[in-house]
Amino acid sequence: MNLTLPFFLHQAACGAIAAAGFGVLFNVRFQMLPWCAASGALTLAVRTLCVGAGWNLESASFCSALTAGIAVQWLRTTRPDFSQNALDVVGCIPMVPGSLAAKAILGLYALMIGASHDAETLITAVQNTLRVAFIIGAIGTGLAIPTLLLRVRVTR
Amino acid sequence: MDAIETLIPENAGAAPALEPVAMVALDAGRMMMEAGASATGVKIIVERFALGLGAERVDLRIGYASLAITIGIGQAGITRMRKVGHLGVNQRLDQELWQLAKRISIRELTTEQTRAELDRLASKTPRHSALVMAVAAGLACAAFGRLLNVDWVGTGPVFLAATLGQFARRELIARQVNGYLCATLVAFLSSVTGGMGAHWAGSATITTAMVASILLLVPGVPAVNAQSDILEGHPTLGSARAVSVAMTLIFVAAGLWVGQMLMNHWQ
Repeated sequence: MNLTLPFFLHQAACGAIAAAGFGVLFNVRFQMLPWCAASGALTLAVRTLCVGAGWNLESASFCSALTAGIAVQWLRTTRPDFSQNALDVVGCIPMVPGSLAAKAILGLYALMIGASHDAETLITAVQNTLRVAFIIGAIGTGLAIPTLLLRVRVTR
Repeated sequence: MDAIETLIPENAGAAPALEPVAMVALDAGRMMMEAGASATGVKIIVERFALGLGAERVDLRIGYASLAITIGIGQAGITRMRKVGHLGVNQRLDQELWQLAKRISIRELTTEQTRAELDRLASKTPRHSALVMAVAAGLACAAFGRLLNVDWVGTGPVFLAATLGQFARRELIARQVNGYLCATLVAFLSSVTGGMGAHWAGSATITTAMVASILLLVPGVPAVNAQSDILEGHPTLGSARAVSVAMTLIFVAAGLWVGQMLMNHWQ
């Protein structure tokens, strides 16, 4: 991928807007929304850098979630009043592969109703399904590792 | 008679003292579950509430739709269960419960005061207004659209479709429509609105705009919680959450599918 500064900034800004938007849906306080936006920007920035370096989306998502998890754990050592979920989970929401999941299920529907007897449709649907599973797994694992290692939230 | 007497537990006389502590701790756990906390978060909060209110031993079973607790003081002990309602996400309530748990763990509150605080939190924790939430959903989906390479002219319709979808979702939830059915209806409405809007705006990415318009329905927090619950030793709850996430995605995709068929027919 051709990684340029405008593209990098665009991805980070979109990540920030998406995370802040979901922060509102999750009833995060207005004062916390800039932190949600920062978390979303961080995850998308890291993922964009990793994909730009030639990584696949699954590895990039894992690295990005891990970075967000570590950053939030570090932040909470100085600001224990910050909600962990509000920061790392909301920050990773823009990486949840909703579009890929929709495409995977639509591909399976197409096969089910006989709209396509194409082997390629089947392979694409299965590929998309596996990618969704692995990306969600990568995000969850990346977020869980810092928590499991540091357990800061127990002392909250 | 002897046989019946032996069935009465020795600690039966201690139940009235333990009962309020168990029920308050369970209610705190229930509220945490309904606010979108992971199993570990629920466990920590329930333990802090129960121990802070005087219990000496706490054992908790966390299910998808219920919580069961056993607490003990000295030789006495009781087990109680509580139904859990719809699992949503409410970060502000989650934070308030953590703050309350901190006060309870330093023995600042009695059981009655804690009950009153929980009642206050359940009824008084503010939520953002419907308009703010709808605009936020619209902006989030528009940003998602850009991340999915929707062109700029298609981004406006995505914003409008997701805003409308959020309004519709809120109305349907208020009318207690089944959550899965609600997901299908909102996915259909948002995808068709987003698709038609993108078509009229002259977008070259109509299909992607339709997909972006429904991303407010993707259950991101339950998906991440499912994973973390399994990793943290709660595979039953994690599996139940994962199944729920998969079902939601299937119903969302069904709405999108019908929307795409309609769009194909219309074009």
